[in-house]
Amino acid sequence: MLKVMVVDDALVIRKNLTRFFTSLGHEVVAEAGTGVEAISKIQEIKDIDLITMDVTMPEMDGIEATKQICELNKDVKIVMITSHGQEELVSKALKAGAKNFVLKPITQEKVEQTIGVLFPEFASKEDEDTL
Amino acid sequence: MKNNKFTHSLLEPIVNRTVTFLQEDMIIDVLNKTVDIDEVNDAILKDNTVMIGTGGDIQVILTFGYDQRLIEKLVYVFMDGEIVDEDEKEEIEQSVCCEIANTIIGNSIKNPMGESLISITPPILIKAAKSFTKYKNSTILVSVIKTNFGDLHLSAVGPKELFVDKLDFKEL
Repeated sequence: MLKVMVVDDALVIRKNLTRFFTSLGHEVVAEAGTGVEAISKIQEIKDIDLITMDVTMPEMDGIEATKQICELNKDVKIVMITSHGQEELVSKALKAGAKNFVLKPITQEKVEQTIGVLFPEFASKEDEDTL
Repeated sequence: MKNNKFTHSLLEPIVNRTVTFLQEDMIIDVLNKTVDIDEVNDAILKDNTVMIGTGGDIQVILTFGYDQRLIEKLVYVFMDGEIVDEDEKEEIEQSVCCEIANTIIGNSIKNPMGESLISITPPILIKAAKSFTKYKNSTILVSVIKTNFGDLHLSAVGPKELFVDKLDFKEL
């Protein structure tokens, strides 16, 4: 089971991602609505395997938050949640240390596939067949 | 309908993606057999309107205006039927409106001027605005998508030159 933090300023996205991760058998141990809040939580909760990170957020965007989190915790894997039109920002986020990105609309299938790529031990049978 | 290839390049994919998003992702029937794009002098804004700007080669303002009943249906589908707490209802409704506009525009936007990127701003909600009116060289394009749960109004506001058929963008 993965321990996950969901970072997004949109409440509905946080709720949806939490539901997807929970139904896939993983645990959402923290949620954050800004990059600043995400950094605060990663300092409190060391044991996080995966973070989903919105690109554009108030106070501190997802790119700066990714950069700072990667310096604080080299083991955590960060996945950017983004839409087309933000390719340049995603590129910066990947340079900052993010491992992957998911394009909106977010579905449980996309979340499951991304987990399978980053954590092969949690890949679904269907994903394993395609890897 | 006063369209040219640039109008279509910009707004038609957004209209088409909105239709498929409603039908396929939200399982909401679209009642219009065809969705027209019209050029107007004034556009009435709905109470629940989201605005997103584009940047880069093409700078326009796009709006998504939702009927309240449609928002309630979209929230229901987005939340997979989960009951929304009353104290979270307004925030959830606003974030659903913004996320849908952001996702649809992001999914459908293409650059009629070539391969370079068009960026989009974060969505913002417009409160208490009633309408916007064409001024000087601006162009307003509107499209109405009808559903069993009310309408979704799309509009694009930009400089008229953007929509001039013979403009040679490569020289810009």
